[in-house]
Amino acid sequence: MTNHLPPPALIEDLRRLTGAELSGPARMGYLGLLLAASMMTAIVIALLLTEPSLPPRTSIALGVMVAIGLSWMGFAAWVLTRRRILLGHHRVVAGRMAAAFSGVFCAGSLAVGYATSNRSAMAAAVLGGVMVLIAAAILIRASRDVERLSKRRDELERQLGLRV
Amino acid sequence: MTTTEHNPAADELLAIRCQLGEPAAFDDLIARWHAPLWSFVRRLVGSDDAAQEIFQDVWIRVIRSMPQLRDGTRLRAWLFGITRRTVMDHLRQEYARAPPVDLDVDEIAAEASAEDAADLEVLERALVGLPIIEREVLTLFYLQELSLNEVAEALKVPLGTVKSRLFRAKRLLRQAMAARGVQP
Repeated sequence: MTNHLPPPALIEDLRRLTGAELSGPARMGYLGLLLAASMMTAIVIALLLTEPSLPPRTSIALGVMVAIGLSWMGFAAWVLTRRRILLGHHRVVAGRMAAAFSGVFCAGSLAVGYATSNRSAMAAAVLGGVMVLIAAAILIRASRDVERLSKRRDELERQLGLRV
Repeated sequence: MTTTEHNPAADELLAIRCQLGEPAAFDDLIARWHAPLWSFVRRLVGSDDAAQEIFQDVWIRVIRSMPQLRDGTRLRAWLFGITRRTVMDHLRQEYARAPPVDLDVDEIAAEASAEDAADLEVLERALVGLPIIEREVLTLFYLQELSLNEVAEALKVPLGTVKSRLFRAKRLLRQAMAARGVQP
């Protein structure tokens, strides 16, 4: 049977392609977008919920901002799950970053809320708390997955004689 | 022929390293699997140029789908399944652009040059001339040496369908070979 050997440059092309697909900065950029959009949306939702006396046009404008924020969140989440995918260790890093940023956001809102008795800041702190819980759930799940995969990797390496 | 020794444990290890995001894991995946997958694509599409365009898409899909691979021991069937779906998507686009062409065994046989030096060369040409459904099942089972279950998984069809396609493919190949004056 005729051999169908790949062109010699193919492996290098594929390695370049893989490098581009898995590049860290692009992934972190989308993660940053997701976090920033989440925080902005939380602040605007907090304003909408706690300021019932806003003029209708302002409420509509804030509603539009919430829709824009949710769209950016959806887009960034889609990219991170379908295009610039997060693999095991990346998910742990992303989970830590999300937990840290959400924690700072929550604590900051809470501090402002206490200091100024501002209801919007308190509402933002509540939403920040929800974000912390979601980030913690993502982090715990990612850490468990990495732990399970690492354990299985070690077993297989021993089984294949690659590790003593 | 390009085949890779089937080692489910090594495949599982490779899949896990990729899923963990180890920097060198995808290089190792490419090193281990690019040749058999290239050979499969090349046989399905019939030319290096067309195969090269499709092959990059195959690897992009492999990378992006890696978190969805549940059982690393089935990496081989999973990779061929993605490759096959990518080829089919490209061919679907091609067929949508080009008018349909009727294939029959006599026509396939007539395309072979009278100077075919070796039976194996004739077999290769006959295989390339077969309809894609028959070509892919023959390539996976005989040339890439996947088991019937793995072929079924790669093609996403029941085992019985694989058997009937193999039966039909062998008959068509025999007819094409006989029409070229070669005893299969």
